[in-house]
Amino acid sequence: MAALPRRIIKETQRLMQEPVPGISAVPSETNARYFHVIVTGPEDSPFEGGLFKLELFLPEDYPMSAPKVRFITKIYHPNIDRLGRICLDILKDKWSPALQIRTVLLSIQALLSAPNPDDPLANDVAELWKVNEIEAIRNAKEWTRRYAMDN
Amino acid sequence: MSAESDMEYSDNDGDDYDYYGEQDDCDMETVDRSKSDPEFFLYSCLKVEEVEKLLNESIELLSNSLQITPSLAKVMLHAYGWNAQEIINKYRENANEVLVYSRVKPRLPVGQANSSRTNCAVCANTPLLHKYSALACGHYFCNDCWAMHFEVQIMQGVSNTIQCMAQDCEVRAPEDFVLSHVTKPTLRERYQQFMFKDHVKSHPQLRFCPGPNCQWIFQAWTREGARRVECRGCELLTCFSCGAPHHAPTDCATIRRWLTKCADDSETANYISAHTKDCPKCQICIEKNGGCNHMQCGACRHDFCWVCSGDWKTHGSEYYECSRYKEDPNLANDSQHAQAREALKKYLHYYERWENHARSLKLEEQTLASLKSRINQKVMAGEGTWIDWQYLWDAARLLKRCRYTLQYTYPYAYYMEVGPRKELFEYQQAQLEAEIENLSWKVERAETTDRGDLENQMDIAEKRRTTLLKDFLEFNTNNASSSTKV
Ligand SMILES: [Zn+2]
Ligand SMILES: [Zn+2]
Ligand SMILES: [Zn+2]
Ligand SMILES: [Zn+2]
Ligand SMILES: [Zn+2]
Ligand SMILES: [Zn+2]
Repeated sequence: MAALPRRIIKETQRLMQEPVPGISAVPSETNARYFHVIVTGPEDSPFEGGLFKLELFLPEDYPMSAPKVRFITKIYHPNIDRLGRICLDILKDKWSPALQIRTVLLSIQALLSAPNPDDPLANDVAELWKVNEIEAIRNAKEWTRRYAMDN
Repeated sequence: MSAESDMEYSDNDGDDYDYYGEQDDCDMETVDRSKSDPEFFLYSCLKVEEVEKLLNESIELLSNSLQITPSLAKVMLHAYGWNAQEIINKYRENANEVLVYSRVKPRLPVGQANSSRTNCAVCANTPLLHKYSALACGHYFCNDCWAMHFEVQIMQGVSNTIQCMAQDCEVRAPEDFVLSHVTKPTLRERYQQFMFKDHVKSHPQLRFCPGPNCQWIFQAWTREGARRVECRGCELLTCFSCGAPHHAPTDCATIRRWLTKCADDSETANYISAHTKDCPKCQICIEKNGGCNHMQCGACRHDFCWVCSGDWKTHGSEYYECSRYKEDPNLANDSQHAQAREALKKYLHYYERWENHARSLKLEEQTLASLKSRINQKVMAGEGTWIDWQYLWDAARLLKRCRYTLQYTYPYAYYMEVGPRKELFEYQQAQLEAEIENLSWKVERAETTDRGDLENQMDIAEKRRTTLLKDFLEFNTNNASSSTKV
């Protein structure tokens, strides 16, 4: 494999030395571009108390292209689909090479605190979130308990 | 019109009308033709080099008037839909506003903290001072990073809209800045190709011919009209407004609905595509090999209609029942299931006819080709000259044009509300259909048909076509007042 760009080395070092509160991101032992990520469900959100596993991969042309991020833990969220894909503008057209892994993870954490049903990826979830928020939140809590708590 | 003298006009019907290049003639003829031909639309068919020249004229005009680089002029023209005069006027009023709107400059000035030249925020390296560069926003990054950024963007097909690398910065990279960082010749070429495509797409007067691998570009000379353009290269008929195949009398939104519906329902409608039918009288199997829907059984000589299998005699000249769909008056009382069945029946009625005329068009295309070679043979054998046989050729082309319009009357009728207007439409449609089938019958037997008879039939069919178009063709007349040629 080609030598790891300095940018990735520096970002990794910083993630280890000053981790973002509530987020752990550890590079795989076999591939320094692949990160095991765990995001803690934010307080006062239906995801509170859950630990959500994600995978993050830095493509060959990172940081010119955005990292690829996906939820591995099942989650009931209007902007995250059944396959764990995330609808987040900075992962798509709003990506800028000046953004970092850190900013991406912070944005994902913020998305858990503030779901946006008007820009949905999981249509059925977004629909319920709009017409019956109470029931949607109940579902999200239930899924958090079932899939994100006992492991 | 000023600079078009070196461009040829390609008119709607190729050789049916004279070319005109002079301004005075042109205006006179424009008036005449826009009255007699409801589909008249003034446009040119341009080659890539001609369009490049045209775009360069705007770029030069703008860069000379405002004393800016051609690269910046391109960014601004792209943002303002190539209206150079509008940019010049607005620039004189408020230059900053224009620069911000075009995304040449950032809306707010960038702070010092964001423009370090000791450390590149993208690669985290610390190159020498002179190895940094920035756009007008002052976001400095190292040149290696710019080069990589542009490479990735170009590979993704982005050209005019490549942005600064800084977070939330929407400033666009002009061509000269991009090219000063990109060295690979293949990449530079790719970038310039994308730029050109993007320029054509952002230019309200231009449209690429949608024909496969076709390089021609249409230029509209008026803002309103039927917007029918015919490519000089591949002869495809296109709607200038929406890029779909030309669809008069149906409007752009309706044809989009119809084509989507046809694609969605293609399974159900598939069975229609049969090319053979049994003669309704003697049951012998007949293959349809011409475009004409007036069938004559080779065995029993029975004349019948391909579309409805009815006796051709009942498709008399006055009323051509076959094209009219009769809605069931008891429909409202029926169950939902029956209504769904009725809806499908209605759709299939229109779809069958739409499909059938499309197929006839293809078959008549073959007739046209064989006619051409037959005429050639006659001419070679000394039986008259091309001019003597020209009328046959004209008849076949006119048939094509009429059937094309007829095909596109079906989606129109499908979406029409039941009422007197629809009745009138379907009456005219039926008349057109009857005359087209008469014409098709005569064209297929052209050499044994009397010339005067054929020419008479041509005249009737074309009159029916233009009458229908005049009465029902709707286009964006709301800006008819601004019909000045650009
Ligand atoms: Zn910038
Ligand atoms: Zn750099
Ligand atoms: Zn073409
Ligand atoms: Zn159209
Ligand atoms: Zn028969
Ligand atoms: Zn019929």
